[in-house]
Amino acid sequence: MSFFRRLFGQEAEPEVPDVVIPTDELIDHGPTLVVGGATHIGQVRKRNEDAYFVLEATLARDGESFPFGFFLVADGMGGHKGGQLASSLTSRVVVETVLREFYLPWLGSDTENTRPQRPINEVIIEAANEANLVVHRSAPPEAGTTLTCVLIQGTNAYIAHVGDSRAYLIRQGRLEQITKDHSLLARLIELGQISPEEAASHPQRNVLYKAIGQGSTLDVDFYLKSLPANSFLLICSDGLWGAVSGDRMAAIVKEASSPQDACHQLVREANAQGGEDNITVVLAQIKG
Amino acid sequence: MGLSTRQFPELEGPLGEGETLPKGTVLQKRYKILDVLGIGGMSVVYQAQDTRFPKVTKLCAVKEMINSAPDLRLRELAVQAFEREANVMAVLDHPALPKISDYFSEGNRSYLVMDYIPGRNLGTVLEESPDFLPEEQIIGWGIDLCDMLDYLHTLKPQPVIFRDIKPENIMLLPQGRIMLIDFGIAKVFQPDQKGTMIGTEGYSPPEQYRGVAEPRGDLYALGATLHHLLTKRDPRLEPPFSFEERPVRAINPGVSESLETIVMKALQYDIDKRFSSAKEMKLALMALTALYSETSEFSSDAVGTIALTRSSDSVLAVWNFACEDEVRSSPIVSDGVLYVGAYDHNLWALDAKSGEFRWKYATEGGIASTPCIYKNTVIVGSEDRVLYAVSADQGRIVWSCPTNGRIRSSPREEFEHVFFGSDDSYLYAVSAQSGRVAWRFQALKEIRSTPAVEGEDIYFGSDDGHLYALSIQGGKRRWQFRISRGVMSSPVVFEGLVYVGGMDNNLYAIDARYGSAAWRYRTGGRVISSPAVSPELGIVYVGSSDGIVYAVDANSGRLVWKFAGEDQMNSNPTIHEGAVYIGSRDGHLYTLDAKSGDLRWKFKTKGKVFSSPAIYEGMVYIGSTDHHIYALPV
Repeated sequence: MSFFRRLFGQEAEPEVPDVVIPTDELIDHGPTLVVGGATHIGQVRKRNEDAYFVLEATLARDGESFPFGFFLVADGMGGHKGGQLASSLTSRVVVETVLREFYLPWLGSDTENTRPQRPINEVIIEAANEANLVVHRSAPPEAGTTLTCVLIQGTNAYIAHVGDSRAYLIRQGRLEQITKDHSLLARLIELGQISPEEAASHPQRNVLYKAIGQGSTLDVDFYLKSLPANSFLLICSDGLWGAVSGDRMAAIVKEASSPQDACHQLVREANAQGGEDNITVVLAQIKG
Repeated sequence: MGLSTRQFPELEGPLGEGETLPKGTVLQKRYKILDVLGIGGMSVVYQAQDTRFPKVTKLCAVKEMINSAPDLRLRELAVQAFEREANVMAVLDHPALPKISDYFSEGNRSYLVMDYIPGRNLGTVLEESPDFLPEEQIIGWGIDLCDMLDYLHTLKPQPVIFRDIKPENIMLLPQGRIMLIDFGIAKVFQPDQKGTMIGTEGYSPPEQYRGVAEPRGDLYALGATLHHLLTKRDPRLEPPFSFEERPVRAINPGVSESLETIVMKALQYDIDKRFSSAKEMKLALMALTALYSETSEFSSDAVGTIALTRSSDSVLAVWNFACEDEVRSSPIVSDGVLYVGAYDHNLWALDAKSGEFRWKYATEGGIASTPCIYKNTVIVGSEDRVLYAVSADQGRIVWSCPTNGRIRSSPREEFEHVFFGSDDSYLYAVSAQSGRVAWRFQALKEIRSTPAVEGEDIYFGSDDGHLYALSIQGGKRRWQFRISRGVMSSPVVFEGLVYVGGMDNNLYAIDARYGSAAWRYRTGGRVISSPAVSPELGIVYVGSSDGIVYAVDANSGRLVWKFAGEDQMNSNPTIHEGAVYIGSRDGHLYTLDAKSGDLRWKFKTKGKVFSSPAIYEGMVYIGSTDHHIYALPV
């Protein structure tokens, strides 16, 4: 042993050849993101209480570029202007926080210290709780809003969710619901007490058990989803999913010429089905 | 007082503030209105004075219902329901139920006159109490309520189902007795709501939502009420029917296991799994008070079976082997041979089946790092600053690689290279065949974390407060993530996330590609233990210096379960066939169910277990500071 130590010496400065590793894939140019969005008052309601936000960007760092996106849908509720106020306040509070913590740091010139440092779940959940307090303080007591928002960084989607707006992943023409509705009926269906058919006419079909604006500490659902190449992420208010079936939504997305075109068509379809509620949809395509 | 947290967005109610009777109004030339006690969905309750007793102030409660429903049919229904309530209540006779004395109509309003109940409702009592309410008091109320429900449920010719038990409907009288108020008249009307609203009833049983009203539904609501009273967690603010996710003792550990069992039984989702009657539930609660006073005349069988699912059965070691000093590093088994380093300076090779000694190789310092295998060599780092490769069959030196610091990071072999950190602050990449250094990367302080290699990247932590990601070709830094107070835990990579523990008490999930954190989970102590991920369950497991093993959802960072040992859990968990194995400073090896966290078995050594379990062919191997290596059946 000491032989080896003598051989190398205590302070031996090692030569530096590269580690050669087998690599069967070429360096890819990374995924890109194409996004569309639309909102519509529908055919019945007197005002549009939905709010939405879309930001898409390509960020470059250390010679590597990656897509960044932040999308949000908030469906306000609670009479007069309360619903509108709740959804727009929520949108503003959440967007401001998320962009400050996760978008601006990527733009700094100091590569060491300006990478986002705080965990995404903490910041988004904190932002949702902040919105919860602001709405509770500034809007009428019966006002509230749903919140479904998605941060995309590279091919990872981070989703925060409260209420009955939804996030779906669409791949190979199949639609998969990512979020869980926080409604009394969803819970009764989940527990097998009533069937989805019975739910459609249940007197309490519009009761949510969780929403932004209640005031007390809010338990926000958080999901992380890895997005496969050429998949779609769709978020929408119940004005869309309540009117248009999942299969139909997947078909429209598949046929459309672009995500924006798909959003317009989805809104048109919901209106054709009666447009009983406000309709809002954001669709992001991840191109591999 | 919180009459109800339900919010009716579009309800320009039939009863606004201005529509309640003004003070001083006299009804039937007899009842003088003094105050409003409460406003419900379709009714108002007033405090009034019965003027037939001129010499004394005899108080009564007057419940008013206004028939102002817009539609005639609904108006008729409302009157019928109100009359029904009056007729039902008129014949009731139970100390926990108010007596009704009069019923009449004036204009489009109908009235019920009943006993005035002084005191506060249990919702207010709960709100005003800074601490948990005493268990014995709650048991007492539970018994009284069961007795009252037993009375209602066994009434002839028809049982009465209350349908609306909740703390706000239960009054606590000054003498300590309780009384049920408000025969939920509003429940009869469920006008089809337009527009979304927030808030559920919270206490109602699931079957009530499909129109089933039966006595055991009241037991569910009573269970929900007791749950709220014991935990101070308002069920109207939680997902409906989610009590089983919030066991009483998880929130209020002061509650007895037996009472928790009773409450959770009443809250069974399946009607047939609840108590069969209010009487049965009452007996179970009474048996508890008997246990309390320790005059056990009631059989505790009535409490139901309180299953002890946690077995503390010990297992017997198949073999053990004494090294010459403490074993803090973890064993590794390959081709039927177990290799482990010890503080006695030796790398030991033992027969995995029998524990028989094969060979030992002496270094010049204690061995705290865990060996790795490369072809027919065993590679291990030592406190003497050197990384050694010795032949697996005979323990003869093949090569060595000196560094300038003690080696506590365990070597990792990938792509014919060995990667390890040293206290000299360098991360080394050396040829697995010759020990020649390919490259090295300098952190700012000691590297004790064992590197993880995934794809073309290598991840490790340092005492300098960073987790590093380097490109495996040349060791160029891809990113670094700040974790204050340093990283001793070794990262694992799973589906694009790097999981690692921090000395700042957190378990982190960091985006492997961009180096930003997806989530972190805060434990009560430093996380020295290295996480392990179950791909089937999507759960990441880690121990913490707070003595707890945490199971956290790998994607969302939410706690799935936790298990408390008696001392620090700094060993790394190992997952094998649905179980998590982990050592503790309290001397035990714990085996926990990976899904539930239930203890399957534990094994006590005479020292501390910092070593992490290795599993090989039906055996689990562990080292202890009592100098021994133990082989236990899985």
